[in-house]
Amino acid sequence: MMELDPRTRLFLLFTFVVIVMVTQPLPVLAAEALLIAGVIAACGFMRAWVRILRTVVLMLVFLFAFYVWTLGLSEAVMGVLRLSASISAFFLFFQLTTVEDLGNALVQSRVPYPFVFVLMTAMQFAPVLSRQARDVFDAQRARGIRLEMDLASARNFPALLAPLLIQAFTLAEQLAEALEARGFGSPHRTFMREYRLRAVDWAAALCGVGALALAIVLLRQG
Amino acid sequence: MLIDIEHVRYRYPVSEGWGLDDASLQVEAGEYVVLAGASGSGKSTLLRLLNGLIPHFYGGELQGRVRIDGTDTVDRPVHAWLPFTGLVFQNPKAQLFASSVEREVAYGLESLGLARDEIRARLDWAAEVAQIGPLLGRAPHLLSGGEQQRVVVAAMLALRPRVLALDEPFTNLDPEAAYQLRSIMRDIQREGTTLIVAEHKLSEMLADATRLVVVAGGRIALDGSPRDILRQDLAPYRINLPTFARFARACGLSGSPLTLDEAVQMGVHAQADQVAQPVNGEGSGSRPVIEAEGLGHDLAGRPVLRDINLRVLSGDTVALVGRNGSGKTTLLKHLNGLRRPARGRLSVLGHDMRKARMADLAAQVGYVFQNPNDQLFKLTVREEIEVGARATRRFDSRLLDALYDNFDLRSLLDCSPFRLSEGQKKRVAFASALAVHPELLVLDEPTVGQDAASHDALVRWLRESHQTTIIATHDLEFAQEVAPRWIALAGGETVADGAPACLMSDARVMSIAGLRPTARFQLAAQTGHLTGAEAG
Repeated sequence: MMELDPRTRLFLLFTFVVIVMVTQPLPVLAAEALLIAGVIAACGFMRAWVRILRTVVLMLVFLFAFYVWTLGLSEAVMGVLRLSASISAFFLFFQLTTVEDLGNALVQSRVPYPFVFVLMTAMQFAPVLSRQARDVFDAQRARGIRLEMDLASARNFPALLAPLLIQAFTLAEQLAEALEARGFGSPHRTFMREYRLRAVDWAAALCGVGALALAIVLLRQG
Repeated sequence: MLIDIEHVRYRYPVSEGWGLDDASLQVEAGEYVVLAGASGSGKSTLLRLLNGLIPHFYGGELQGRVRIDGTDTVDRPVHAWLPFTGLVFQNPKAQLFASSVEREVAYGLESLGLARDEIRARLDWAAEVAQIGPLLGRAPHLLSGGEQQRVVVAAMLALRPRVLALDEPFTNLDPEAAYQLRSIMRDIQREGTTLIVAEHKLSEMLADATRLVVVAGGRIALDGSPRDILRQDLAPYRINLPTFARFARACGLSGSPLTLDEAVQMGVHAQADQVAQPVNGEGSGSRPVIEAEGLGHDLAGRPVLRDINLRVLSGDTVALVGRNGSGKTTLLKHLNGLRRPARGRLSVLGHDMRKARMADLAAQVGYVFQNPNDQLFKLTVREEIEVGARATRRFDSRLLDALYDNFDLRSLLDCSPFRLSEGQKKRVAFASALAVHPELLVLDEPTVGQDAASHDALVRWLRESHQTTIIATHDLEFAQEVAPRWIALAGGETVADGAPACLMSDARVMSIAGLRPTARFQLAAQTGHLTGAEAG
């Protein structure tokens, strides 16, 4: 997995998610979920994966209960398995691929640079905003402004939202300015790393296409 | 002439006033120019002319002419100025957008269209010069403020621009990192790079500069050699004088020493002790305000505070000093319950900090954060200052009046806090924290971005209020002015606790904590005038 080009990884990610979504027999779906768990374990990301699963466990429990109530137990198990396997696949992809690797590879595939850059920056801006939100939260609570998850705090939420929004805009503008000052608009851009599709990428992509075809055939027969 | 700014007037979009108003400045290749002036005087705007960000990125209305190496900046887009001008902005975290330091530095080189080998060679050179080699594989947003500052400087150095412009580069740096950056700047200027630096902390590099330019009201008010400019009356420009020059003035001397040797030769020593004696006495009260025993705290599984033992009595003023990332801010955040002890015991104003309610603490602990923008949300400055006092039921109109006067806020009370300069916002944050009449005042880097008047207002308040105060700061000159007790932290541990002069006399402590002796201490030590209080 680690030697594959970022574009191949992206292709395999989407192929896997589609396969998981169309797979019907429960044992096959369970095998797919086990497969992705095995790859995560083999790559040494188990601890981080467990942390991610912990953050979504409440949502999965809620989804399971909702499916049991609306569609029955079997559909509930399959729905939760599908979602867990997809989350795991995205997790594995972003453990193996930096945002720049993905962006640079897309640019070399002639995807317009401004489009790719907006995508990359937006992905990296999320954790920055999350830290900013925590700082604002701390600053307001330190002044005695109540910001809990209850009705009494609702009228104080402008104290959280106003500084956060204003700083988000300011940060975005400063980031754009810094990008511009480092040659964002340059038409002569080169890349420190070269991205080339090799035999192993084509072979992996072919395996992905084969697996997808098999899943579609099984779906039609089922 | 490398840079020729001719009668420039510039107005930002949707702004009523002129950011620059008939500004003219000529700079020859190889000069080291320092831009000084109050917050909002036009220093940053002037720097943005140098790589075409004004007008290409900002738009607005530009009159006059800016020529770099004979070419008008209007005639080429911003990216075309990359080989000429490298611009390092004020806020390092807003300039970092890559997933690793290596990619951060490489980005500009990729924009230049360089070959891979050349990118690698320049990256390695910049990493060595800026001393960021061990950081190359790390995520920029997880670095300390000082490390981030070195990364953005390296990213610009790698481009090998003919002009390197830096906007307040020392703001986030600990004393040792500031010393290193100053040395880097000296070296690259010696090799031929033209340096233009906007800075509040003139003590850091004025001895290296060839010119000092004072900016006021969007125009160049004074321009000349640092010594000539410092002889003039600078009070109207709200400039923080370099420490030795300030001492010389207090001694009634007309010269402007910039180095220790010059100050000693001029006889500044005789009066220096009277200029900045700490006035708050240690232990002026007897009631314990903070008591910590074996305090420890972890972040992401890594210990950031280890075995902290601390006792602060009412009336004490204590400065926490040490490198970026040494645990100063984490320790401060324990004092009002934003962080809870993972190990050991901490008591603040009698509260057990493992279970004290933040709402109770907010009325007793005034906390001023490093970034005042984290708290502004009201429509007027007056409401912003009063909101905490009202929430904690500690509203006191007489105290508010005193705060408005001390921090020079009367004329701003009906303004929107969002329209203030950074220095003014910080003054609002001080007043807001003090408005609850706190029994303990906690300040995180209070002098960052402050001009002389704001700095003096804070020093005045701290000296006159005799409030128990804990300050985390890299500004050791300020720390020595207000705090007779320093606690040095390194790697989350206390490495020294005592009088400033005791710490500064201990070379081992200074090295471990990444500190540099203050100008005042150097002067006193050189002339044998360490007072009893200083010597501890």
